[in-house]
Amino acid sequence: MIQQENSTSATVPIKKLDKFTVTDLELALGGDQPQHYLKKFDDSLARVGEKLIREGKADYKEHKGKLISPYFNCTDCHNLKKEQKVITNKNPQDRLDYLTKNDMPFTAGSTFYGIYNRSSFYNGDYYKKYGSLVDNAKDTLANAVQLCAEYCASGRPLKQWELDAIMHYYKREELRIDDLHLSGKERAIIENAVNQKVNQEEALTLIKTKYVHQYGATFTGAMNENKRDYGANGDPRNGEKIYREACMFCHENSRVTYLELNDDVLSGRYLWRNKEGYDDESIYQVVRWGTYPITGRKQYMPLYTKEKMSNEQLEDLMAYIKELAQK
Amino acid sequence: MKHITSVLSLILLLQCGVFAQSEDEVSETFSNIHVINGHSTQTLKKRQWRYIIAHRFGDALGDKGGVQSAFGFDNAADIRFGFDFGITDNLMVGIARLKGSGPYSSILEGFAKYRILRQKEDNSIPVSMAITGTGYGTYMSASEDISSVTNFDRFSHRLMYGSQLTISRKFHPRFSMALMPTYVHRNLVEQNDVNGLFSVGGAARIRITKKIGLIAEYFYNIHDTSIRNEYKNSAGVAMEWLTNGHTFTLNFTNARGMSELQYIALTQSDWLEGAFRFGFSITRTFKY
Repeated sequence: MIQQENSTSATVPIKKLDKFTVTDLELALGGDQPQHYLKKFDDSLARVGEKLIREGKADYKEHKGKLISPYFNCTDCHNLKKEQKVITNKNPQDRLDYLTKNDMPFTAGSTFYGIYNRSSFYNGDYYKKYGSLVDNAKDTLANAVQLCAEYCASGRPLKQWELDAIMHYYKREELRIDDLHLSGKERAIIENAVNQKVNQEEALTLIKTKYVHQYGATFTGAMNENKRDYGANGDPRNGEKIYREACMFCHENSRVTYLELNDDVLSGRYLWRNKEGYDDESIYQVVRWGTYPITGRKQYMPLYTKEKMSNEQLEDLMAYIKELAQK
Repeated sequence: MKHITSVLSLILLLQCGVFAQSEDEVSETFSNIHVINGHSTQTLKKRQWRYIIAHRFGDALGDKGGVQSAFGFDNAADIRFGFDFGITDNLMVGIARLKGSGPYSSILEGFAKYRILRQKEDNSIPVSMAITGTGYGTYMSASEDISSVTNFDRFSHRLMYGSQLTISRKFHPRFSMALMPTYVHRNLVEQNDVNGLFSVGGAARIRITKKIGLIAEYFYNIHDTSIRNEYKNSAGVAMEWLTNGHTFTLNFTNARGMSELQYIALTQSDWLEGAFRFGFSITRTFKY
């Protein structure tokens, strides 16, 4: 568990809002500093952090890089850019549309972009999967990263310098004012509050409504067989997007897993034939439960929470699989 | 030297073209490192390793087969176990120990395989291609018979080599073919044999489902049959079953051995005389 450095709130002389980070602005308005607040930012360390996140290992000064996990990289489950045009929008269909348009995968995890501005992690039902491990990670970003590295990625705990590097990367990718989609009136309120020192609490409250502080996580469990439509009323075109941006992201050419999926009839028939029941070859089961790492096969599939994939999207996916299976 | 430089340059150019856009690459042309005996164009990925154990039993029918030998299950013609490692996504190496069949036993095998080309979906690269170089050495006890190839008068007589170029194409999600020109060299052979032996292999794979496929493989040896009149071409059929991590292959071949040295150069069994055998291989892939 890392210790965070204390510092006093900064007073930021603001001329043009867009040049400043949300954290700086909140501090200028009298807000509390985040638990993981970094007083000094080191861009070279942030670059090391980015390499760790993208490639799973990096060298730094006298430290020789060693893989965090041979099975997963962070980017297998997390995007690094914005996932919605308006970042407070948590609608899974809007997320899918935005990601597809921007050629990004429809991952099971939340984006790292703006994670520095969040205050709670492994929320909702994640305790069902990780039990008491969530306790220390829930309100501490550094501990959440360690939980992810050691357990979610089937890897090892991060060295302190690796953790520091990732925290500096997060700092670099924190939210800027132009991420908040402020109206002209809202900008004026904030500028006024900072420069004239008036209505600062109102401005601070306003800013806090403009971004996500935590993502919910609802584990629905596998859909009851009696409630499954098997894609009968689903939209196969939307399902195709999910298949390409979610399933194929990991399964194409067995990139992450041993199960190879393609957009061919054999893959379609394999998935369609196993659609019933509750074992881990059924789409209904595996999307909602994921799979678990076992000895000799540490790669596993993370589950999609209701917030990340709706039941309607799941039926769309089944509609596409039905089409792929030529049924 | 000039030719070698040209070939290396060509490979480098092809590499740049082939691997620049990996999303277009055709996959699952064959599911395993080997087709049945020959090498496929498949390689392990970087940081993957694989354990393989494979058996070839005795003749299923014919003079040595039938009920008395439980259709060959009483005998082990060859046993191979080995470890393969992915160095990059296109380069792998492997080591194995074979029981051996024919004159040689206690064989150690080491190979390196490099995938030169990978078929693309838009047919800009119509085939996948890999080249495999294999070295064999036997540590069996030397025979006292000076006329035997296992007399091992020199250490080099214990060594043998194989080179195999595999060219494959996936024509359809269910159907793939491969061509496998192969050269085998033995430093010492018997009087009615040749040191260097060319063979051209062909293989086809039909996938019944995502996880079950049928494979056929045949090697035609290009040699003077008046000299090598005791030897046969290797032919086999197999069924493969894929799981998440394991691949099982159940096969029938007339070849007793599993290395190029053996199935190409030393196959003497004849399908038509019932001298074919059941065999299997089990592979398990891990990451490191």
